[in-house]
Amino acid sequence: MISIIQILSVIFGIFMLYVVRIHRKKEVLDRNEVFFWNTLWLGFIYVAFFPQTFRGLIQRLQIARVFDLLVIVAFMIITFITFQNRITIKNLSRKLEEIIRKKALYEKSKISKN
Amino acid sequence: MKIFVVIPGFNEEKYLEKVLHDILKITKNVVYIDDGSHDKSAIIAKKHLQDVLVHEVNLGKGAALKTGCEYAFKKLKADAVVFMDSDKQHNPSDLSKFIKKLEGGADVVFGVRAFDAHTPFIRLYGNKFASFFFNLLFGKYITDIPSGYKAITRSVYKKLEWTAVGYEVEIEIAARVAKNNISYEIVEIKTIYHDVDKGVSLLDALNIMKFLVQLKLSL
Repeated sequence: MISIIQILSVIFGIFMLYVVRIHRKKEVLDRNEVFFWNTLWLGFIYVAFFPQTFRGLIQRLQIARVFDLLVIVAFMIITFITFQNRITIKNLSRKLEEIIRKKALYEKSKISKN
Repeated sequence: MKIFVVIPGFNEEKYLEKVLHDILKITKNVVYIDDGSHDKSAIIAKKHLQDVLVHEVNLGKGAALKTGCEYAFKKLKADAVVFMDSDKQHNPSDLSKFIKKLEGGADVVFGVRAFDAHTPFIRLYGNKFASFFFNLLFGKYITDIPSGYKAITRSVYKKLEWTAVGYEVEIEIAARVAKNNISYEIVEIKTIYHDVDKGVSLLDALNIMKFLVQLKLSL
């Protein structure tokens, strides 16, 4: 018997496949990225439909439910992405500062020459 | 000795005219960095000064001081710079104290406010705590670390290379001076507070503490 959480998970997975398709149409994602994300979300939908596939794994890891395993994995991924975002923002801030300051100095030297 | 006054400003049209007018009575060597103001600050500055640089967007005090220093040291061949704020909290008459110290051979001069009974409570004890915390981390007690009235020479600027873009630049300069064992002098400056004082909030103070710890770990 399929639970409500499984149905919601499948709907969410299908929605994310749709989001990937939109970004592919807008040419934001390239072919490799589309393949990666589609595989991920299809895998997610499969796990939502057939959680018993991972029974062996969760027993070995001593986790009570497949859902708990998904939460742990999701948390690790979010932590990693947050860290990456922080590094990216830090780099972008530094580059933005460099550009703005260089432009100010350049504009001033242009005015001085004129 | 060629000394320039470097003044960063963000939306300071209220006081800027008066500030520049008072400074120009003492020295013509002034560089103003408009840090992405939305008001008429840049226009006012250009009316009075030849050396005005403009950031297209607001970056923060630290970034503005860096731009000013690069311009003063590389283009204007300054030997030293004096940092002043553009919100009328620094008295231009104290400039001569900095110039005297610099000409006497000082590499770094910190302007220290004499806190008195009129100093707001939070400001006074916040300041003392900042100095205490700084001493704990860097082994040097510098009073009035957040004061923006300070002077550095060209050779010291090359050693400092601060990374802070915002208000925390004051802390970083002090930290790098302490870390590099650079000798410094202190001058007493007049204490001026406005009714509407942008200053440093409690959240800023917590960020500064966090920043101090990060600095200690990274330097």
